[in-house]
Amino acid sequence: MTHILAASQFGASHAVTITLAMSALLFTIGLIGFLVRRNMILMFLCTEIMFQAAALAFIAFGRMRMDTGGQIFVIFILTIAAAEAALALGLVILLFRRKETLSSEAWSELHE
Amino acid sequence: MRRILSLAHRRKESCESLRNHPRTERETLVPHSMPLLPFYIASAVAAVGLFYILRPNKPALRRGGAVVALAGAGLFISEALRLAGPPSAGVPIVLLIALVVIGLYAAVRVITHPRPVFAALYFIVTVVASAIIFLLLQAEFMAFALIIVYAGAILITYMFVLMLADQGPRDSIGHIDDDGDYDRVPREPMAAVLVGFILLGTLAAVVERIPNASVLAESSLDQKVARQQTDALVMMPKHLLNVIKRNNPTAVSALVPANAAIQGSVVQTQVTFADGTVKDIAVDAAGTIDNTQMVGLDLVARYPASLELAGIILLMAMFGAVVLARRQIEFGEDEVRDAAGLRRIVLDVPDHERAANGGGA
Repeated sequence: MTHILAASQFGASHAVTITLAMSALLFTIGLIGFLVRRNMILMFLCTEIMFQAAALAFIAFGRMRMDTGGQIFVIFILTIAAAEAALALGLVILLFRRKETLSSEAWSELHE
Repeated sequence: MRRILSLAHRRKESCESLRNHPRTERETLVPHSMPLLPFYIASAVAAVGLFYILRPNKPALRRGGAVVALAGAGLFISEALRLAGPPSAGVPIVLLIALVVIGLYAAVRVITHPRPVFAALYFIVTVVASAIIFLLLQAEFMAFALIIVYAGAILITYMFVLMLADQGPRDSIGHIDDDGDYDRVPREPMAAVLVGFILLGTLAAVVERIPNASVLAESSLDQKVARQQTDALVMMPKHLLNVIKRNNPTAVSALVPANAAIQGSVVQTQVTFADGTVKDIAVDAAGTIDNTQMVGLDLVARYPASLELAGIILLMAMFGAVVLARRQIEFGEDEVRDAAGLRRIVLDVPDHERAANGGGA
């Protein structure tokens, strides 16, 4: 039998709070990673960490209000993340073909 | 400055009046003047730890930094927990905290690991940990969609690109010893950690402001879920019939009249049986619809336009990726003629051969 919404499963305020705290920490880690890493692919991976943090927060808030809107928004977050990954990686391949390196420092001067 | 302070004070008062439930327990625990101070301390500790993890120095110092960062994260979470009020049963808290620790550790490894492929693999660990947290928060569909889409699709794309672009250490030939040299030394770790610390402090202010479960009283949430399930059941006649068939196996069709009486979660339904009799049956909607059904119904019933938009965004992303990644290849005349099945143009044909072919090309 699948999980049925029932009154006995309410009272998950602790789980919601822990998840929100994890979401805040994860977003911070992703931001720091984006600023710290030089590899362009890993910089985009760090944006995925931030997407992950946002998705966690949405699920937690949806659970808190018992509203499916949170989960449905995460579906759209997944969509945007997939689109972003496809475009960003296409750009990275384009840039890699030009300079044969993945370092973002190689593109610090954008004149050619 | 004083005006800002008074504004902040007034806002705080209005917040307190909005939460019109007794908060005596919290007020005795937290000094009223600085409720956010523990969060700031935790953020600072975590930032210092992360700084020492990021900086290229001795392994012992890195390990110490990891311990300090873990302590900071633990302080942050425990402080948030304390604000959440008295513990309640329902979710295994120990399991949840273990998952949080695993997920955060893997995320830190993503931003610190020198080899990009390993960083991507560690991200999968973070994704799986959050997927299990989704499960604990009753978001079953999203948990598995996350694993399939993130770990299965997006991360595989990342791995492909990493392997396409990054050939790895090439020490056998000897010209490049380590490809990740430019990524070995982090860029401005001090500034990055400072920015992260400020962001974490700000987010802590938000987490602190989040009302705990007692604001949304459980009885009112209970009513909300019952109402949602009742509405959903009325919208799904086939499911309604299935629910009725559990108790009345001979039912063939069920109909909810437009002016049906709905009391709480009980719906009055007109049920037609196999022998042609029609009876009014009261159906209790509570517990008949699970989470995934609810999400699916709401996705198409509440947000149909967003669903279409998501499809368009994916299509545009596909076009963009194709256009971006397309490589321009210059074909010579000969290759083009070969591909079209034509003869190659030969210019330097001797005169006597051309005469023998009757003019030639």
